[in-house]
Amino acid sequence: MSLGVHSFGRAGLPRWLIEKVWGLEHAFERARASGKVEDDTRLRIFFLLFLFALGFFGLAIGATRSALFSDAARGGGLVAPVVGARGDLVDRNGKLLAADLLHYGLYIDPREIWDPAETRRGLLAALPEVEPDRLERALRGNRRVFVVGALTPEARNRVNDLGLPGVSFEPEQHRVYPLGSTAAHLIGFTDSGGEGLAGAEGAFNSDIHTAAGAAAAPLSIDLRIQGALEDELYKAVAEFQPKGAVGIVTDVHTGEILGLTSWPTFDPNKAGKATDYARLNRAAASVFEMGSTFKGFTVAIGLDTGVATPESTFDATHPFYVGNRAITDYHATHAMLTLVEVFQHSSNIGTARLGEQIGPERMHAYFDRLGLTSPAKVELKESARPLTPRVWNEDAIASTSFGHGINVSPLAVVRAYGALMNGGYLLPLTIHKLEPGAQVTGPRVVSEKTSLQMLSIMRANVTGGSGKSANIPGLSVGGKTGTGDKWDPAARSYSHTKQVSSFAAVFPTTGGPQTRRYFVLVLLDEPHPGKLGVDPTGGIAAAPAAGRVIERIAPFLGVKRQTTLVQAIPVEQPSTEDQGEER
Amino acid sequence: MNLFARRIRGFRLVDLVALGLLMVIILGVYLAKTMAGRERAEIASVEKQIGGEKDRIRLLQAEVAHLEQPGRIERLSVTYLGLKPVSVKNEASVDQLIEIAHAGPPPKAVAPSAVAALVNGADVVPGVPPPAPAEAQPVRLAAAQPQAAAQ
Repeated sequence: MSLGVHSFGRAGLPRWLIEKVWGLEHAFERARASGKVEDDTRLRIFFLLFLFALGFFGLAIGATRSALFSDAARGGGLVAPVVGARGDLVDRNGKLLAADLLHYGLYIDPREIWDPAETRRGLLAALPEVEPDRLERALRGNRRVFVVGALTPEARNRVNDLGLPGVSFEPEQHRVYPLGSTAAHLIGFTDSGGEGLAGAEGAFNSDIHTAAGAAAAPLSIDLRIQGALEDELYKAVAEFQPKGAVGIVTDVHTGEILGLTSWPTFDPNKAGKATDYARLNRAAASVFEMGSTFKGFTVAIGLDTGVATPESTFDATHPFYVGNRAITDYHATHAMLTLVEVFQHSSNIGTARLGEQIGPERMHAYFDRLGLTSPAKVELKESARPLTPRVWNEDAIASTSFGHGINVSPLAVVRAYGALMNGGYLLPLTIHKLEPGAQVTGPRVVSEKTSLQMLSIMRANVTGGSGKSANIPGLSVGGKTGTGDKWDPAARSYSHTKQVSSFAAVFPTTGGPQTRRYFVLVLLDEPHPGKLGVDPTGGIAAAPAAGRVIERIAPFLGVKRQTTLVQAIPVEQPSTEDQGEER
Repeated sequence: MNLFARRIRGFRLVDLVALGLLMVIILGVYLAKTMAGRERAEIASVEKQIGGEKDRIRLLQAEVAHLEQPGRIERLSVTYLGLKPVSVKNEASVDQLIEIAHAGPPPKAVAPSAVAALVNGADVVPGVPPPAPAEAQPVRLAAAQPQAAAQ
């Protein structure tokens, strides 16, 4: 059976192709019919040759296309990723905090060196950071060895200008902290292999590795707030000469840490050369007996359990006895005090009596719920475990009610106070920037009513109590002073000369539970009398610094002064008498 | 005459055509590969240049961050401009501006300005500590003392 041309229709290109195929087939048939077998063979060879040529032509087009338009020439796939590379860290406004920058490692191959003495002399002059012993060992060796790393392009150029044979460089990424000691404890640092060891570098180590070459990781801190916090804390340090100090600023509704500083500090660019004492993050890794700052928790528990109201009275006319132990006030009032007055006068007697009424079980349960018996929930690995009473009995409750017998980290205090100030929810602290409007949830630990009452009581303590020196006109600051005597292991008693002075502040105290609100903690460890020559209690040493911090950071946080409050509260310099009751 | 049987100087025409086509294709591929190699070298050069510029930009960004350390900015602003944190007495709402305008011009600044003094040719400005070194230094306790005095 033979198929004709007309069997396949008449349209365009298919028709032309079919005609050609039939023409070729007819040529084969004619060759066979005429008996010219050789022509038939040649035709078929030609046909195969044509097919091969067609295939080769197709391959050529493909090769040309891949050579001209492939991604191979872009270089990205050819460069091996740098081992240990880390992403940038920035503050919440995008300011650079840490970055990997191109540096160079210096190598020496002694087999190529003509004049070791000249090489030694030249390198030591150009690179003061080179260790002479290490250089000597490299020069006396018999193979190419690494001598020093983290050299800047300028340092490399200085060496290249010497034209020394046998000296070469290899590029390497080196972690740089351009802000030096600013926010050093929060940012943290890495080891020479590019692994995060402390601070955000340690907390987000794997994430920062993943982010290498991608978008920078924003931390929660605001450099403007951090700068003001550090400046005011260092001024307090300069005046009171403590052995350590801490400053923290947080958003009570999100748990974001907006500023965190620990003194003494260090330069993370030279973390290896800093002492452990300087590297210690006292905000997270140290625990303190906070003293009267804890009274805020006791009062809140009393209100929340219904044991007391702001008008409840407590007998502070004489010491309170737990067994044979007498609890007294730093400056005895010898009076009946309302709960608010107990808070304002920082009465140990009144707080211990309140603790007794609450009872050990409920006090212990509330301390658990406030996160005071466990490490502060924050990404920082150095968050310390608190030291808590072994047995929660009446004696332990009496002590812990005014901040003794329990050692917690400043971050734990900040977190628990945040719950009292934000409407009653215990939120995790975070050093990671949250999206604007982010809703952070946590368990409710006190009622909204208790939270609002605490805001009022904290405010009352600043307008008429131990925290007057933190009163900033128009910003409605509330706060609680704390001065905890430190335990002296040698004397097996509390020292009267070594203390922890702190001030826990919140602003603004006006508005409902959803009002944007911020918490500030300033703590000085073992401060000395300042220029006034008086006992450096929390009201004397820490509260003024906290007030100045609040005054400076309020504009950055969008907290506007309230004119009515500015007019109502006279601007005055508090005297030492005002803080006389504080302890 | 049959196209397949036609010969030129003893060679079949179709063979010559096929050979010519082959030569054209080989030449074309050679030229394409050569041009592609040149393009690739140029692309690699530009990529390297971009990489170098990126490294330089990152270096400059780090330098800017270094120079903008809060402690350094504060030290310089106190030293050269006599600036300090704004007091509540110096704050006003928009509504208060009219009232302030009626009260008359504000008194001249008490804080001496190092910039103004330098413009006037003075080397040392009374009451202002000597200029900080141009190189940024980490905030240290020693550096905090002059700031405390300025408050």
